[in-house]
This record gives sequence, C-alpha cells and structure tokens, in this order.
Amino acid sequence: MIMTKSAYQNSLDGSDRCRAKSLAKKTGAMPNILEMTGIEKHFGPVTALNKVDFHLERGEIHALLGVNGAGKSTLIKILSGIYAADNGRVVIDGEECLLGSPAAAIDQGVAAVQQHPELVGDLTGYENIFLGQEGADKGLFKRIDRIAMRTKAEKLLERFPVEIDLAKKIDDLAAVEKEIIAVLHALKQENVKILILDEPTSTLTRVEKVQLFKMMNLLKNSGVSIIYITHRLEEVFEVADRFTVFRGGRTIATLTAEMAQNEAVSIPQLMLQQEMGELFPPKSRLSEETTPALEAQSLSLAGSFSDIDFQARSGEILGFFGLVGSGIDELAKTLFGALQPDGGNIILRGHTVRLPSPKAALKHGIFLVPGDRRTEGLVLSDDVTFNTTLANLRRASFLGARKFNTNRQTVGDLIEKVELTPPTLNRAASAFSGGNQQKIVIAKGLYSQSDTYIFVEPTVGVDVGARSTLYGLIRELSREAAVIVMSSDCDEVFGLSDRMSALYRGHLVVEPNAEMTRDELLSYGLMGSCN
Amino acid sequence: MHRILSPLMIRVLIFLALVTVICAVFQSITPRYLTAANFRGLLSAMAISGIVAMGLTFVIVLRKFDLSLAGIASLSAMTLGFVLSVTGALVPTILACIAIGLLCGVINGALVGYGRLPDVVTTIAVGSIAYGMAFAYNGGADYSDNFFSSGMVTLNFNTIFGIQIPVFLLLITALITGFFLHATRFGQSFYAAGENPRATFYSGISVQNVMIVGFGIAGALVGVAMLIQISGIGSSRVTAGGQILLPAYTSVYLGAALLGRASIPATLAGSLIMTMLLNGFTLLSIPYYYSDAVVSFILIVAIVLFDPKIVQLLKNPRRFFLTNTAG
Amino acid sequence: MQSDKQEAVSGLFSNFGLPFLLVILFIFFSSITDTFLTAANLEGLILSAAISGLLFLGLTWVFTIGEMDVSFVAVAALANMITAGMVIGGYGWPLATFCAIAAAVFVGFFNGFLIAKMRLPSLVTTIATGGMASALAAAIGLGSSMGIEETGYLEVLFDTKIGIISMVVLLTLTIIAACWYVEEKLTLGHYIFSMATNPRAALEAGIPTARITIILCVFSAICSGAAGILLAVQLASGQPSIAQSLFLDGLTAVLLGGTMLKLGKPNILGTMVGVLIIAVLVRGGALLGWSDAAFSTIKGLLLLFGVAVVVWTNKSSSDIR
Repeated sequence: MIMTKSAYQNSLDGSDRCRAKSLAKKTGAMPNILEMTGIEKHFGPVTALNKVDFHLERGEIHALLGVNGAGKSTLIKILSGIYAADNGRVVIDGEECLLGSPAAAIDQGVAAVQQHPELVGDLTGYENIFLGQEGADKGLFKRIDRIAMRTKAEKLLERFPVEIDLAKKIDDLAAVEKEIIAVLHALKQENVKILILDEPTSTLTRVEKVQLFKMMNLLKNSGVSIIYITHRLEEVFEVADRFTVFRGGRTIATLTAEMAQNEAVSIPQLMLQQEMGELFPPKSRLSEETTPALEAQSLSLAGSFSDIDFQARSGEILGFFGLVGSGIDELAKTLFGALQPDGGNIILRGHTVRLPSPKAALKHGIFLVPGDRRTEGLVLSDDVTFNTTLANLRRASFLGARKFNTNRQTVGDLIEKVELTPPTLNRAASAFSGGNQQKIVIAKGLYSQSDTYIFVEPTVGVDVGARSTLYGLIRELSREAAVIVMSSDCDEVFGLSDRMSALYRGHLVVEPNAEMTRDELLSYGLMGSCN
Repeated sequence: MHRILSPLMIRVLIFLALVTVICAVFQSITPRYLTAANFRGLLSAMAISGIVAMGLTFVIVLRKFDLSLAGIASLSAMTLGFVLSVTGALVPTILACIAIGLLCGVINGALVGYGRLPDVVTTIAVGSIAYGMAFAYNGGADYSDNFFSSGMVTLNFNTIFGIQIPVFLLLITALITGFFLHATRFGQSFYAAGENPRATFYSGISVQNVMIVGFGIAGALVGVAMLIQISGIGSSRVTAGGQILLPAYTSVYLGAALLGRASIPATLAGSLIMTMLLNGFTLLSIPYYYSDAVVSFILIVAIVLFDPKIVQLLKNPRRFFLTNTAG
Repeated sequence: MQSDKQEAVSGLFSNFGLPFLLVILFIFFSSITDTFLTAANLEGLILSAAISGLLFLGLTWVFTIGEMDVSFVAVAALANMITAGMVIGGYGWPLATFCAIAAAVFVGFFNGFLIAKMRLPSLVTTIATGGMASALAAAIGLGSSMGIEETGYLEVLFDTKIGIISMVVLLTLTIIAACWYVEEKLTLGHYIFSMATNPRAALEAGIPTARITIILCVFSAICSGAAGILLAVQLASGQPSIAQSLFLDGLTAVLLGGTMLKLGKPNILGTMVGVLIIAVLVRGGALLGWSDAAFSTIKGLLLLFGVAVVVWTNKSSSDIR
C-alpha cells in the first residue's frame, strides 16, 4: 500500500482539478466535458440502464464502480458507439451528438479501451497502435510507411515510463504490454478528449497495475479526461478523483475521493443492495461424511494450475476464490472432463476415474454450471424444457423417443423448485434475465440427477435481488450433494461456503478450512499469502 | 395482448395461401395444372429433390453446409449401375447405392467433426473426389445392363399400397426423418449442436458424433434419391447429380423462411412450393434457364426472410441501422 | 523449445512448401514426357494459367476476409455470353466488353451489398446470385453456345507476343503485380489481413469493414468478368457453361495458396503459385492421358490437403482452446 500514498495526495489536494477548472473558465467552456442524461438501454426483457445521468469533468479520473451487471459496461459501450441507446442524450464539450458507430465516437474525441481490448494478434505493436490511421489521412489506398509509423509509435510511447518492443507481434507480448498498446491505440488520434478504460486491471499483476496507474496520471495531467471502470474498490482510492456507483442499471451516488474517506459512507453498501448477512443463506455444519464425493490429488494442467489437492463432501459447500486467470475456470473444466489434466488424479467416492469428456463426467454424477452461461450453459434460442432436459436426454426419452408429456411435468416441477419467473416452459432461454437463465441451468443440473455440482462464477451478470435466491438454491442443493463454488467474487465465496480456499496463479495457497476471515481469504486470493 | 392465432398458425396459413395462389395462377394459364395426372407427376418430381432436401435439412440444422451432394449423387448412381450390371439383383444394388452415399457422408462428418476442418471446403473436396471416383466405373460411360431384367425401371412406376414407389419413398423418408429429428433425443441434440455446440458439449453430448450422423444421413438420402432418378432415366450416368444442389438448398431455406426454422415439415413445404412452380413452368414449356433463375431468386428471397436481422429490420428499422455495427 | 522447432519447420513449410511442390511437378512432367518442355506446350500452359490467374485474383481477397464467393464462375460465364451476344448482335466489341464488365460489377455489388450490409451468409447468397447469373448467361444464347465471327480490339492481346509470352500474359502479370503492391504496401491490404485475423479489432479501429467487403466483392466480379471476356476472344465463342471446370480449380488454387506465407490466409502470391501448380498438373496430366476422373480426384485431394495443413498447423501453434 505504499504506492497509493502519492496517488492519494494527488487527489486530496485536487490541484489538477483546480487547474482543469480554471482552464475551462479561460476558454469559456462548460466545466463538464461530458454530460449524459436519461440514458436507457434494454436487451430484450432485461433493463441494462434505467434513466442514467452521468457527468464527467474536464481533466479528472472518474471511476465507475459497481458489481457485475450493474450497468457500467453498457453505459461505456453506448458512449463509445458500440451500442445505441434506446433513449437519452449525450453532450460532449457542449455539443449534443449522436453516437451511432465506433467511428462516430472516435470523431467526437472519445477513445475507448474495452474490457478485453481487440487487437490484431499477428500484427506488430506499432501496426496495432495505428490500425485504421496509418498515415496523416485516412483512406483505403494510402501507402503505408512502416518506418515512419514505428518512429511515431515510439515517440508516443516515450511519454510513458514503460518499455515495449513495438516491433514484436501482439501474440508474443505480455498482458500489460497488450493493455498499453490498446491504450496507445486509443490515443493515436490527436483530438482525444475522453479516454475510457474498461476494467483494464483484471489480468494485470500488482506491479503492472502500478505502471498503468502512472500512465493514467500522466495522461490526466496532459488534459485527457479518463473514465475508469472497475469493480475493485481498493483501486479507486489509488487513482480516481471522483467516482460514481452503479447498482441495478442506475447510478446510486457520485462522490469525491475525499468523501469516500468519510466513515459514514460505506461503498460496499452502496454497491450491494442488501447487507451481506441477508444475501447469503445460513451456513451448515461441516459434513461428517467420511468418503469425499470428489477428491483431487495433485491435479495439474500445464499453464493453468498445478498440484491441486482438495476433498469435497456431500452436505457442504466448498468454495474457491480466485481472480480471472488464476486457474479456477480451467480447474472446473478439468473436474468436468472438458480439459484433460497433465497429472494427478480425480477420485470419486473412493474410486480413481478418468474423465475423457463431459459426457463421462455427467455419467459419474458431476454437473458443471459454467461461468459463461450464455455460451456454455444454454442453447439460448430454444425453450426451457429443451434446455433443462439437455444434459440427461436418456432420462427424457424412452427407447430414444422423447417423452413429451412426462418431460413437461418433470421440468414444470423443477422450475417451480428453482422459482423461475415467469414459469413458462415454452419460452426461449434468451428471453429470460441473467438470474433466471442461471436458474434454468440449475434446473438442468437437477434434471441430470447429479451428486456433485461445480459452480463457476454463479452470479456474474445477475442482479443483486436475484442473487440471494440463487445462493439459497445452491445451499439447498448442498444438502443432498457435494457443491463446489469457484468465483472471482471474494464476498460470494466467503458468504456462501462452509469451507473455503483461494487459488492464486494456479496454486491452492491455503488448505481449505472453515476458520478464515474475509480479509484473509481476500489477501490469499490477491497476493497468494496472508500478511 | 391476447393472441388469437399463434405465430406458427399464421405461418402455416401464409404457406397455404401461397399454395392456393400458385395453383390459381397456373390453373388460369393452363387447365392441365390441376389434374390428377399432373398431381401425380408433381409428387414424383418432388420425390427426388424432396428426399435430398430432407437429408440436407440435418446438415443445415447443424449450421453446416454440404456441397458434396452432387458428387455423391454421381458416385452412388454409378455404383448402382455397376452393382446392377454385375449382380443383376435388385436388393444388393439398392443397398450398395445407399451405402456408398452414407459412406461419403460419414467421411464428410468425420473430417468436419473430428478433423475440425471447415465444412464448405471439405465437402467441396470430398464431392470432387467422389465425382472423380464415379468416372472410375466403366471409364465414365453409362451403365444400362440388367435394368429391365432386374426390375430396376419398375421402381419408378410400380405402386405399393396404391402409391407410386417414388412418392411412397418420399412419404416414408419424411416420416422416418421427421420422427428422428423432432421426436427423439438424437433430434434434440441436432438442434442443440447447431445452435450452441459449446453448451451441447458441456451437456455431455458428442458434437462430433452428431456431425457424423447428420452428414451421413444427408449422404444416404442422396443415394435414395438416386434410386428414383436412375430408375426413371433407365441408365446410370455420371451427370446424374448435376442438378440436385440448388433445388435442395432452395427447399430447405424456403421452408425455413416459411415456418421460421429448418425442420422436416418446413423442408417439405419448401420443396412442395418449389416443385409446384417448376412443374408449372414445365407445363408452359418455359426453358430450363428461366426456371433456374426463378429457383435462385426464390433462394435469395428465402434467405433474406429467414434472417432474424431482417425480421428485426421490418419491425424497427431505425434501431437496426443504429446497432448495425455492433458485433 | 520443441514449439520453436515446430514453428521453424512449419515456417519453412509455409514459405517454400508450395513452390517446392511446383518445381517437383514441373521436373516430373518434363522428365517423364517429351512434349512437356516444348515451346508450344509452355505457351499454352502460361496462357491458360494467366487467364485462370486473372479469374481467381479478386476471389483470393474475398476468401481472405473469411467470406465465400462461389458465384465467380457464373460471373465469368455471364460476361462471356454478354460479350458474344452483343458482338453477334452488331453492337461492336468496345460496347460489348463495357456492358460485360458493367454486368459483372452489378453482380459483385449485389453480392457485396447482401453480405456486408444485409449481413447474409455469403455461401448461400452467392449460390443464389451465381444461379441467377448463370441462368441469365444461358438465356442470352437460349441455352446453347454462340460462335463469334467478328474479331475485335482485344485480339491484339493474344496476337502480339514476345517469344512465347503474349500480351495477355504481360497484362495479367501487371495486374497481379499491382495487386501484390496493394496487398503489401497500401492500407487496403493491411486492412484486409487485419479483418482476416480479428474483424472486431478492425471494426473497433474505425476501419470501414463493410465498404471493404463490397469493394472486394466488386473487384472479384470484375476479375471474373474480364477473364470471361478474354475467354470469349480466345475461343471466338460464347459458352454458357464456359468456366464450370474452373470452379474447383479456383477454390483449390486459393485455398492451397492460402497455406503459403501469411499464416494460412489466402494471398495473391499463394494463389498464383496454386494456379501454376494446377496448370502444370492439368497440362502434364493431359500429356500422360489422365482422365477427367483422375483430375477431379487429384484436385479434391489437393484441396483437402491444403485445408488440413492450414487448420492443423494453426491449431498446433495456438493454445488448447
């Protein structure tokens, strides 16, 4: 936490902001470089943004905070022209503008670095920086001067305290280097007024983050206003001047960094609707079963995780906390037979098994509720019955023929159990909200009659109200089955699990146990140790 | 909002209206259109393209393409001629004709499923190899031995239960494939694998095997269609499959456009409308190239109407253009 | 360590594999037949390679950006029949060729509009537009071919020769060189390959991907149309099914060429090597008396081989997912 101090100081005395304001007065422009008012966006039945107002001052770093699905990314996609808003107006530098396409947004001086920035893997760094703007003017038949381009790119990079070999292909660069290339790409134009960074730190290490923050401060001092999206609280204090909290598609509050120091304001409380205690169901007593339902013995997958040992018992929830890239996703997929381990054993009820495919895993009673339910969990265009029966078609048919009536009844009972709303069997999965889609996946798991359930990021993109229902369902499941929850949300793992551990860079850094505080779990997951 | 008619009902009504309009137009031009004889002719013409189209439906449901159909058709036609000339018996001939189609289809499916090769290029290549193999029989010359003695030619006009054999085969194929695709668990995995192969894989279904079965059915049904076509021509020739691809695609896409999704009933509906048009053109002795142009035109209209984005556009034009650039 | 070695091997293969195959085939046919290495045979070989090279030139880039265009043969036939029909109708060569190219541009634009703006699946769309174009081509000659008596200004391209190299060949070579320049040095080529690797990145960088798709479709159609006109001159006739056999050749040349350079993406130089390989194979095979059957099978196997190499080498270099 040494690094934060200077950033703190910076935001406390607010000298930059003062300078920006006086500059604004001189030029006679409004203090706000950007004003978005009454922005609405719906995706089918889901309301992503509900009449959101957002103001950005000149020369500030403004953080957008909120849990997944709170609406931050949608707002940013509207500002950068990727989505069109259903309603509302956007005023940039005093002028109202229509942002119909990324190109239009770029023309207005909005530069965006998306959450997973899109770069062309087999082009070099400098080619990526100037992609779409190779020479002085745009056009399809302009000669490319690669040498001039490279010199220009190196000059651009000189402003920042990092060293990157710009002649290397993107595929060969480290994560932070890619991120910086993406930022430089966004800054390639002269007229950038607003820079958007969407969760740039999710794949960065601690040291890399510091590099990025330095760069952001340099940019701010050169007059660029920055919108910074994150769901990590601690980062906000390091770098932001002000921040806005999003919840359930609305803005809840806009505060300055100083105000956040005030004890009276609890940001987590702003971000989450409910108190932690209410959100999660009560914990159970530790299971006394002797034979674990699922046991991993020094399980390894090159490049993802190594030497993973744990035992999951029926009757309890075992939780793993790990950031994106820590290996939780791969571990879950390995336990489900979708990836093949390089070493170690998976032991089910005392028998070592080999799981060559998800088919085999399902046969052994393991069910995975994948992290990306839209691409891995559901066939979106098909209805609830279709999706629910998909993982156990044998049960849904007699001699191959589908038992339409029986299935309707069984699935009807199941969706009642998972409280699907609306409880309509012949509605396409795509027409349900995130939380209800997750309920369909859980119903699918129940239909498969498995006895070990693995959840990956169970509540990503689920609004807070629906979360507690899902947590209740997971708890309900654990009474009869072994449940493993893997998540990058520390509070989720801590609140839900009976025993918990953390995965850090592919290693289980602590023995799963019940006696851990939330802060201990957090620091194990963030830093790999507890001190 | 209370709906009186379900969307599917509306679609079926549109289909029936189309059939009526086509009948009315042709009947007003030529009185021979709505006769029993012409109707029989229409159904047996529909048999060939309909059976091929039903096989193709499986591949389209998997969101893949099969461009090897013409090559497979030539190979199974020549295999038919060869086996018939050697054995002179009907049963092994029929089996060989269907089996070789099935084999080619399975090879397609294995290359696409397990080999992870792109469907279009792979099927073009396999089709080309099959076409080359067709020439290997008899140096590419026609076979007409044993066609009469074995009863091969009677396949085209004999009847079973009072139904002409081609029409009978069409109905049987429709029943079997329709049941398989819409009422069995295998059929459910076809739709799942086409719409979201990843989720299907995570549901414990082998997408690769589904591919093999899908392409295999498409190949085997080409063999069945060739039985009818060759028995009608009276000899096996390498060019037998030259004209089956375009009508098959048009039937599937037109049907999907009409009924909202690729399925066996949809393909039959598409095939019926297309055959009715072609049959009418034949009665009016309109040259083949004009009817080809019409079939192509229908295909374009069908893909435009089948496209969900277009439906979106019709509902809300402004929003469509604004979100056009989103991925 | 091992992957480095593997990469080096696959790099060697991708850069020199195809040219090596070309040389081997050339040497093979030269040594096994007496007539292959004669001036007359080589002249014919180069001329046919030039015309089919022109036909597949624009097609290459359409495939590079991941779209499928199967209407190119029909467009060539349409241009061919329009030229023949109008020359016979007495409109003269200049107007006839102009109209042929205009028709090609129209089909190309129609393809591009449907694919890029309406975002329809390119394969079925071009099956349909190709079907219409070839039906129209057949309709011009009422289903049969038409002989052209009158010679036109394009004749000179075939008659003027430097050694065994005619003007047609030189012209095609110039166009190929220009295309290669566009591919390597101009923004358009840069954008085409960016779109091939990561279309989203290209779009987000403000590259007009839809406009590029339309331009490439139109260019592909112009190339096909020009080749169709040249075939009308060469054969002194219009034939509605003129380029049928070139369909498989085109796909094989482009996709086989895609295994060379540029990490498995179709590119101009690769396509041209592919065209030469097919030309050598067809000429040499014909001298050895190979049947149509053998050609069809060999081309199919080559195509399958090319695609498998592209897919499998790309897979081994990228990660497990």
